Amino acid sequence: MAPEPLSILTNPLATVEQLTSSSSQFDGVPADLETSIIHAGARLTQAAGILLQLPQDIIAQAIVLFTRFWIGSEGGSLLEHNASDVSAATIYLVSKLSAYQKSPRSVINTYAYLASLPATFPLPSTYIDAQDASTYHVSEGTYLTSRQTLNANESLVLRILGFQTHVALPHALSITYMQTLSFIPSPSGTALAARTFEHLNAALLSPQLLYLTHPPATLAVAAIYVAAREIGTKLPEGEWWEVFDCEREDLGFLVLAMGSFEGFVREEVQKWGRRGKVPLTAKQVAGEIEKRTMLEEGA
Amino acid sequence: MAGSSRWASSAADKAEEARRKLEKEEKKKAKLEKQRKLEEAEELRQNEAAAARDTAAGIGSNGDEEASGRPAKRRRLSTDNNATSDEASQRPRKLLRFAAPGWGPCRSVDNYEPLNRIEEGSYGLVSRGRELATGDIVALKKLKMDNLADGFPITALREIQTLRASAGQTHIVALREVVLGTDPINDVYLVMDFLEHDLKTLQEEMSEPFLPSEVKTLLLQLVSAMDFLHERWILHRDLKTSNILMNNRGQLKIADFGMARYVSEPPPKNLTQLVVTLWYRAPELLLGAEQYDDKIDMWSVGCIFGELLKKEPLFMGKNEVDELSKIFTLCGPPTLHSWPTFRRLPNARHIQFPPTPPNLTPTEVKSMTTPSPLPLRTHFPLLTNSGTALLSALLSLDPLTRPSASEVLKHPYFEEIPRPKHTSMFPTFPSKGAMERRRRWSPNAPVRGEAVDFGKEVDGGKVDFAGIFGGNSEAGGAGFALRMG
Repeated sequence: MAPEPLSILTNPLATVEQLTSSSSQFDGVPADLETSIIHAGARLTQAAGILLQLPQDIIAQAIVLFTRFWIGSEGGSLLEHNASDVSAATIYLVSKLSAYQKSPRSVINTYAYLASLPATFPLPSTYIDAQDASTYHVSEGTYLTSRQTLNANESLVLRILGFQTHVALPHALSITYMQTLSFIPSPSGTALAARTFEHLNAALLSPQLLYLTHPPATLAVAAIYVAAREIGTKLPEGEWWEVFDCEREDLGFLVLAMGSFEGFVREEVQKWGRRGKVPLTAKQVAGEIEKRTMLEEGA
Repeated sequence: MAGSSRWASSAADKAEEARRKLEKEEKKKAKLEKQRKLEEAEELRQNEAAAARDTAAGIGSNGDEEASGRPAKRRRLSTDNNATSDEASQRPRKLLRFAAPGWGPCRSVDNYEPLNRIEEGSYGLVSRGRELATGDIVALKKLKMDNLADGFPITALREIQTLRASAGQTHIVALREVVLGTDPINDVYLVMDFLEHDLKTLQEEMSEPFLPSEVKTLLLQLVSAMDFLHERWILHRDLKTSNILMNNRGQLKIADFGMARYVSEPPPKNLTQLVVTLWYRAPELLLGAEQYDDKIDMWSVGCIFGELLKKEPLFMGKNEVDELSKIFTLCGPPTLHSWPTFRRLPNARHIQFPPTPPNLTPTEVKSMTTPSPLPLRTHFPLLTNSGTALLSALLSLDPLTRPSASEVLKHPYFEEIPRPKHTSMFPTFPSKGAMERRRRWSPNAPVRGEAVDFGKEVDGGKVDFAGIFGGNSEAGGAGFALRMG
C-alpha cells in the first residue's frame, strides 16, 4: 500500500484498539484517574507553551502528541513515565521542528516553575503569589540531570509514536470555512471566529480526545456550529456541513463533546479542589492509587 | 444578531421551500428507507467508535444532551421531522474521505536481515537489507547521532518529517518505516526502498554519457520531484548525482533528505548557510547569502543537467573560491546588470571583479543583461538551442532570474525532438549497491557492419532479459542497452 502524503487535511488518527485500551489501565490505573491526569497534563503543556511564548499552533501540536503518547496498549503507562516529563518532551520536540526553537534551559525552567505551583487548578491569584524564585530555581547540577531526562523522554516519545509527529490542526481550516459561509467578513464575524477558536483550543483538552478521533475538517465544522449557536449567528438551512465533508453523526458527537467540556472541567475542579494536585509523576500516581485502595478498604 | 448572516431565510425562501417539500413528499418514503439503511450501518460503526471513545475517556456521552443545542444524533431516524430528513432523502451524497494513517511504536531492526553495505556517507551508513517477513529488499540508513546534548538531532527529525510529507511522490524515495537498533537502543534506522543505482556511480561506470532523450527523461523526473517539494515549502538543500537514485526501469528517485527543511516566505531567520555539497552549491550561497530560497535547489538541478550531458561534474572546485572561479569561467563574471544585488552579499567584498564599464549605451546594457550563451555553447556543442537556453537559465548567477521547477517543466526543450525516452526503454546496468559485478564486456552502440550473434558473443552465451521485462522488483542488470534516439 502506497503511503498517503500527509497534508493540512489529514491527521494520523487513533484506532479503535488504541481507544479502548491503554498501558496505564493494564497497569491498574483507574480510568477516571487516567482521564484526570491526561487532562491535567494537556493543561500543563498549554500553560508551559504560553510561558515559553510559543504560538498556539505549536502548543496545540505538542498537546496532540502528548495525548497520542498515552493511548493504546503499546502507548506509555502513567505508572512508568512521568506525565510532566512527557509534556516537557513534546513541547521541546515540537518547538524544535518549528521556527520557534526553545532551548532545553527555557523548557526546564518553565516546568520547574509550573511544578512549584501549589495546585493543578489554582486560583488566578496563585500565579501572582508565586514570585519567589527560590522555589523554582534550577541549579546547574539539577539542570544537567533534567536535560538528560528531557532528552531521554524526547527519544521515548519518538519511539512510542513511531516518529509520527505530523499534526494537522483545524484552526486555519475553520477560518476558510467561515469565509466560505460568508460569516467572515460580517459584523459578528470576529466574535464568531474568536469563539470558534476557543472551542477548538478547549477541544485539545477534552477527555474524549477529540483530536485523536476526528480529522481537522470535522473539528472545524463542529466548532463553528457550536460557536454560531452560542453567538446567535444564523446558520444555513440544510446539511451545510456536508459541503465540508463532515458527517452528521460526527458533527453530533463533536457538538455534544464540545458542549459538555465546561461541565467536565467544573467536575475536575470540584474533584481536586483549589489546593489539590493531580498526580503528574509515576510516583505520585502510584501514591494516589495506594491512597484510594486504603480508603476503600477502610470504608 | 441573527440578521447578520446571509442564511437568514426570507419569505421567498419559505415559499420555495414549501414547493420543494411538496414535490418530494411522494418520493420521500422509498428513498428515506434506503437512506436509513445506509445510515444505520454507518451509525453502527460510528456508535462503536463513539462508545470506545467514551469508555476510554471514562465519561458518559448522554450528559447534558438537552442543554447543548446539538443536531440530535437520533433525530435523523425519526420520521416526523420533515425539514432535515427531506434534505437527506434527495440522494446519498458522497463525502470526501481522507486516508488517516495511524501510529505505533517503532519496530526493531531485527525485522531485517542485513545483506551488504552500500555506502558510508557524511550523513550515516547505508546498507542493503531484506525484510524477513516479506522478503522485500530495502535500503537501511543508520542515522548519525551526534550533538546529543540537544536531544534527538534536528536534521534527523527533519529528514523523517520531510520524507513523510513526500510520501507517494513517484520520484522521491519512499520511507517505509523508522526502526530502532537492539543493542544500543538509541540507534535509529530509516527503512527505504532499495534502488539499484545512484547516478554518480552509474555515470562513472558508463562508457558513454546518457543519450539526449534519456537526459530529458531523467531531468523531467528530477524537476517534477523538485516541483512537488517546493510547492510544499520544502528545500532539499543537498541535490547531487550521488543523492539521485535510479532503478533498472529508468525511474529516478531523490534520496537523502538529511539537509532538507521546511521554509517560509519571507525566509526563516535561522537558515544555515552551510548547505549543499560544494560542487552543486549556488553562487549566492558561496557569496555568503543569509537568506535563500528554492532557487538554490534549481542551481543544483542545473549542475546535474550539465553533468548528465557531460558525464562529469560541471564545477569541480577545490574550495569555495575555486568553485566560484570555475562558475564564473563558465557562466561569465557577475555584473551589475546580470545580477544587480550581488555586491551586497557578505563575501562579495573580498573578491575582485572586473569592473562594470560606466556609461553604457542601451544596446550594450541589453547585451549584458541577456545572458550570453557563448561559453556554455562551446562546452556543450551537441546541445540544441532550447537546451542551451534552459541550461543557461538554470545556471543564471542571479537567483531571481533562475527558473522555478514549475517553469522548467514547461520548457520547450522537453517538447522538441528527440522527445524524452520512455522509462521502460531505458538501458539496464549491473547494480553496484546489489554487488552485481560489472561484466567485462558491455555492448555499445552497434557499429555498422558488425553482425550480432546471440549464441556466441554475449557474455557466456546467455542472454539475460530479466531486466527489461521487469518481472521482479529488483531487476538484475544485464548491461543491456538499446541505443537509439
